[in-house]
Amino acid sequence: MHIDDLKALESQSPLKVYTLGRFEVHLGENLAEDKWGRDKAKQLFQFLISNMDRTALHKEQIIDRIWEEDGTDQDFKVALHGINKTIEPERKARQESKYIQRQGTSYQLHKDRIWCDHRAMEQAVSIAHEHLADRPALSREALQYALSLYGGVFLPARIYEDWSSAMREKMQLLALGAYVSLAELLLSENPKESVIIASKALDIDEAWEEAYRVLIQAYLATGNRPQAIRSYQKCVEVLDEEFGIDPLPETKRVFEQVMEK
Amino acid sequence: MSQDQSASFVLRFTQKLYQDDRGEDSVQWRGKITHVQGNDQANFSEMKDAIVFMQDKLSELTLSSVQDKSEEERQGILDKSLDIWKRMAKNYPKMVVEALKDPKAQVSQIQEQISSKASEIGSKIDIDNLRPPSKSDIHEVLDEIKTLKSMVEHVSTRLDNLEA
Repeated sequence: MHIDDLKALESQSPLKVYTLGRFEVHLGENLAEDKWGRDKAKQLFQFLISNMDRTALHKEQIIDRIWEEDGTDQDFKVALHGINKTIEPERKARQESKYIQRQGTSYQLHKDRIWCDHRAMEQAVSIAHEHLADRPALSREALQYALSLYGGVFLPARIYEDWSSAMREKMQLLALGAYVSLAELLLSENPKESVIIASKALDIDEAWEEAYRVLIQAYLATGNRPQAIRSYQKCVEVLDEEFGIDPLPETKRVFEQVMEK
Repeated sequence: MSQDQSASFVLRFTQKLYQDDRGEDSVQWRGKITHVQGNDQANFSEMKDAIVFMQDKLSELTLSSVQDKSEEERQGILDKSLDIWKRMAKNYPKMVVEALKDPKAQVSQIQEQISSKASEIGSKIDIDNLRPPSKSDIHEVLDEIKTLKSMVEHVSTRLDNLEA
């Protein structure tokens, strides 16, 4: 898939879901928070969104993850009805849902009918990695698009929920990798931008050594040698404090280049 | 009456492959642990530090759930809780090391088990419409097996104690 096709999907999809740094559902327009009624309906929808790429999940599995031991079939039914009422208010009783696919007692969302930012971000990063060596300009565009979608952690209002933690971790790692790759791609062409991008990775994880390495090189490329030295010192301090280790030889070599200049 | 409370942890391991100053290939693991319910995080380079982090969070959990009990009862419950955790923690690093040692072999073993189970039940369900297990499915199965293993070990220790 080309990056333009990927971008077009966002504008064409009738139902758009934003989960990175916020939770918003757009059905033509942004769906107001109070439309959800019960929180469990919203939570069930978010759970299905976070499992969009998996096979259909059995009702019991879903109840176990969301309600833990207190859930009943009735709770599930009420929450499912709440979702249908919110995202398909015009749907008639017994009419099949446009967005929720049911196979016996297993459920999943229709991937082709819903656009979701975390899936688009993953696809964009995948395009970027595929073309990193042969088409760096396309790779850069794909990474820029991917990172424009990363508005922050996955479902920030659900950080204390067990079921959301795997996706949060996965998206954060994806963002860290994308920031470092983009900062590297911009190093010679636009080192100032590279500084900004590498710093964003460090905002997520201040012990991410690859980001320091690009940051030091980017500062050096902008002619700001003192800041390059300070960045290395910060890297040494953080790695010592957090892990009790020294920077990798590769990072030390980058610093040696700074000192030789 | 029993009381259920959960503590979940997300563990991240980042592998660094590099050549050391003498030009020899080296490997380093860096870890990050997150306590989901409290959103606290800690970095570590040795597994024992992650275990100490988990132990702290579990002690907090135990203490918070016995606040209304007498000092004596609180101490008793905390001692029992720590005792259970110590026994589990003793075996945990071994499990992690085993998982890291040969993940490919384990994944392939699990895939074989899944395929064999799928063949067994293939006649009952529409197997053609099912996808093969994803990586996350396999990780989930591995996690379940690890949990099961530690539970079996715990029960086995308790049985040994009872027999003694």
